[in-house]
Amino acid sequence: MAFAGVLALALAAQAGEAPWSEKTGALDPSQTMPQGVLTKSQLDTLTEKGERLFTARFTLDDGAGRPKATMAILPTKARSTAPNGFARTSGPDASACSSCHNEPVVGGAGDFVANVFVSEGFNNADFDTTDPQFSNERGTNHLFGAGLIELLAREMSADLDIQRTQLLNAARASGAPQETELTSKGVTFGRLTAHPDGLLDVSKVEGVDDDLIIRPFSQKGVMTSLRQFSVNAMNHHHGMQPVERFGARWTGEADFDGDGKSDEMGAGDISALVAWQASLAAPIRETPDISGWRDAAAKGEENFTAFGCDTCHIKELPLKSLSFADPGPFDVSGTLNDASVEKSATYDLALLEWTKTLARNDAGEIMVPLFGDLKRHTMTDQRNEQLGNELLSQRFVDRNIFLTSELWGVGSTAPYGHRNDFTTLDAIILAHGGEAAESAQLYRNADEAVRSELIAFLKTLVIKP
Amino acid sequence: MSATVKRILLSALMVVAPASCTWAEDQAPFNFDVPSLHEEAAAAGIAHEYTGAWEFFVGGGVASFDCNGDRMPDVFLAGGDSEAKLYVNRSTKGSALKFELSEPVLVGRDALKVLGAYPVNLDNDAFTDLVVLRLGENILLKGTGNCRFEKANRAFSFDGGREWTTGFSATFEKDRKFPTLAFGNYVDRTAPGSPWGTCHPNVLLRARESDQADAAIPDYSDPIRLEPGFCSLSVLFTDWNASGEPALRITNDRQYYRGGEEQLWQVSPGLLPKLYTRRQGWKKVNIWGMGIAEADLNGDGRPDYALSSMGDTMLQTLDKQNDEDQPVYRDIAYDSGSTAHRPYTGGDGRPSTGWHTEFADFNNDARTDLFIAKGNVESMPDFADFDPDNLLLGGMNGRFAEMGEKAGIALNRKGRGAAIDDFNADGMLDLLVVNRHSNVSLFRNMGVKTEWGTAPLGNWIGIELDNGKFNRAGIGARITVKTGNLSQNRTIQVGGGHSSGRIGFSHFGLGVSERASVRIQWPDGDWSAEYRIHANNYVVLRKDNPEPVYWYPVKGE
Repeated sequence: MAFAGVLALALAAQAGEAPWSEKTGALDPSQTMPQGVLTKSQLDTLTEKGERLFTARFTLDDGAGRPKATMAILPTKARSTAPNGFARTSGPDASACSSCHNEPVVGGAGDFVANVFVSEGFNNADFDTTDPQFSNERGTNHLFGAGLIELLAREMSADLDIQRTQLLNAARASGAPQETELTSKGVTFGRLTAHPDGLLDVSKVEGVDDDLIIRPFSQKGVMTSLRQFSVNAMNHHHGMQPVERFGARWTGEADFDGDGKSDEMGAGDISALVAWQASLAAPIRETPDISGWRDAAAKGEENFTAFGCDTCHIKELPLKSLSFADPGPFDVSGTLNDASVEKSATYDLALLEWTKTLARNDAGEIMVPLFGDLKRHTMTDQRNEQLGNELLSQRFVDRNIFLTSELWGVGSTAPYGHRNDFTTLDAIILAHGGEAAESAQLYRNADEAVRSELIAFLKTLVIKP
Repeated sequence: MSATVKRILLSALMVVAPASCTWAEDQAPFNFDVPSLHEEAAAAGIAHEYTGAWEFFVGGGVASFDCNGDRMPDVFLAGGDSEAKLYVNRSTKGSALKFELSEPVLVGRDALKVLGAYPVNLDNDAFTDLVVLRLGENILLKGTGNCRFEKANRAFSFDGGREWTTGFSATFEKDRKFPTLAFGNYVDRTAPGSPWGTCHPNVLLRARESDQADAAIPDYSDPIRLEPGFCSLSVLFTDWNASGEPALRITNDRQYYRGGEEQLWQVSPGLLPKLYTRRQGWKKVNIWGMGIAEADLNGDGRPDYALSSMGDTMLQTLDKQNDEDQPVYRDIAYDSGSTAHRPYTGGDGRPSTGWHTEFADFNNDARTDLFIAKGNVESMPDFADFDPDNLLLGGMNGRFAEMGEKAGIALNRKGRGAAIDDFNADGMLDLLVVNRHSNVSLFRNMGVKTEWGTAPLGNWIGIELDNGKFNRAGIGARITVKTGNLSQNRTIQVGGGHSSGRIGFSHFGLGVSERASVRIQWPDGDWSAEYRIHANNYVVLRKDNPEPVYWYPVKGE
């Protein structure tokens, strides 16, 4: 019997369940959270648990479904009881995380068929249409390298916080307004002005929320952490309500979604999911051993720079530390953070073999090859509105503004675009408007061979776990 | 069951129930956070008692406001026959609380016989002023910056009178440049037969019409007597019917009036105030009215009122079975578990004595809580001697749960006035209670207690309004904070409570929401566009600016 099978039986027996129980067996009834710096062995155990949860097909017996609650990120009662367990539009829309995150492997992206429908979930929560006035249709992102992405975002948020504090201190000390350019890891976020009375003018801040917290996840860049993303997703897609947001502390009820199951998912389970996602290997660059591809990719990479693509799709960003603390520092109540637990767990990603292949700069910083800037940009203009096909803003971010997609892994994750409705890289490049219009125009004007070389380059950015 | 019957039953229960039975035991488990409130007045540098004989059995107020432009709330404390004092807030973000005694802002006899104080900007300059309520002449203190004040009675043509003043409220009537003031007066000690049935009239002050156009300072030389007075202890301008025209709500002490009742004055611009009558729906209610608090508990856009008293606290909501234009209220204190009629701990089964009352969200769960300062008048034998302050936390289905003991505020002190404010700018509301014959209680909100320490509460935002040149603080403006399907409504007010008022950031708990959509109905009736605000921040919303301006306090070392 395979190890996994033995483990499942053992867990089922431990939980007092029959081996053929229709519970997943992946949930941890103890709901304990890891603490402190984990050894490699402890991390492996935790990530195995996380993978089991990620691939678990949650059932009614586990607490799947939310007949009396909506998909909303805030605990919200449904106005009527959902007639079906699943709903392709308003959810729950999947029995497992891996039902959608599976291209090219578990943890990856999803095809168009795995699109999800993002809505605030407060009004018209039981929408049964793909009409964009009710929801934004979004493709499923891959999660490889997500731990590094979150670490980069945390370091950038910390940088911006320091700059804000220094600016305020300077304004208070001088008695005169002070202005600075906000920059982190070479990415600029506009200008900030502080006044002597502690007031801030954020009107010139760009690409980040007014609170200067980098939110690196989702197509829109509105999720702070893997933990927040996981808590949202477990409710939205599966109706498995994490206690840390939907439990009695905040809702007054242990069974907020009214499915007869209390405290469906503990903080320890969310930690395991986070650990697994954070540990997923970063995508790599790999050129197929096909004659001419290497040369074409090399030229394509040159033109990637020449066209200005790397202005936003920055090839590498430096990362100081591979220590991933969970819960982290920038989440707020509703998602556990480092102030809401006695001690966070720390996952030293340097223990993972794949991180040893990452290049380092002269300062010893890890160069994360994300091809992104963790910044939001306007992606449409009057001449090109292909990426402006949504009607709803999301979490204060206008309909045509999106986070720069990290291109690592793009060679493994067709189709493309925030709605997954571009079947070729060529098409999604041409769809760029707004702040990317000039680069797209250079690409559009290039010879077909040059455009082809750029595609050859992008296809070397693959997921190879 | 009628409210009257319930109250009778409650009174009966108070007699027969064993002293060990507490109100909390009757309730379903309270699952929400209980804030840990740590008393640290002495450590914070505050040494101040409210003292004095009979005339100072009432009063004992505090004004919480920023007097030096750092947006941190400073406190002016009434002293009774001790000197009133101003303490300047030296706390930093999230730090232990720290205050520094200021140079006296009142000198000589003016510093004595102070019963309470309310902050309000009287002259539309850059500095908040202070209305000081006294036994004898009331005083208007004009702020001049850096926590300096000058007496402005003469400059503002204000006759401070000789009454025993315990209540105050201010509003800006339509198109008025300067605030209209209301003073609530208590017993007339000089009248024959005093103190029984001898109540001073209350007073309304409108700045003179001729001054509205050009004058830089108000002229309050035309007082309007609001008669009859029924020995009021708290007054509050309140837009009870959402008409945009605040009325004056007055709570009165039945201990001394004869033939009196609670009052609601219609205050229409340019007209003399007139009392709402039975024909208009106003019902006779007799309580030992001590304090008024207002909140829109059910989100219907109509204020609900907590009225502190001896024995039961009343919680009044507009009775929807009547015309909404009729001020007909029903008491929902029993149904909501907020009667707070006797001590919840300590075993003294005698009725409580309530004073300052104020709604706030102490645990940031987006549910409104109710604080009531408690304390025997002095040594009234029929009322509880050990009578701790109440912290009624909002729970499920509109009910409150008494969590004062668990929070740590059940001290053996005689509370009077109070201020609920975020004294260390950490987003968690702190509490200052003025006590008779003992030091003030200053509670720092530490968050929720856990097995390993304290953890943050829910999310929050703090909102300061800037209404422009006149009525800068936006008194009368309504703030609506929307998170998900929940809307919280709050009106900017100066008045009510018990001889205590505040002005500054309005605090909203957001629970698990990481952002909020905010709209303002400015005092002139105009609605703002939507302000989009990220949680756990302080913002200043300006009438002429569609974007929020963020404010950051000084960080501690």
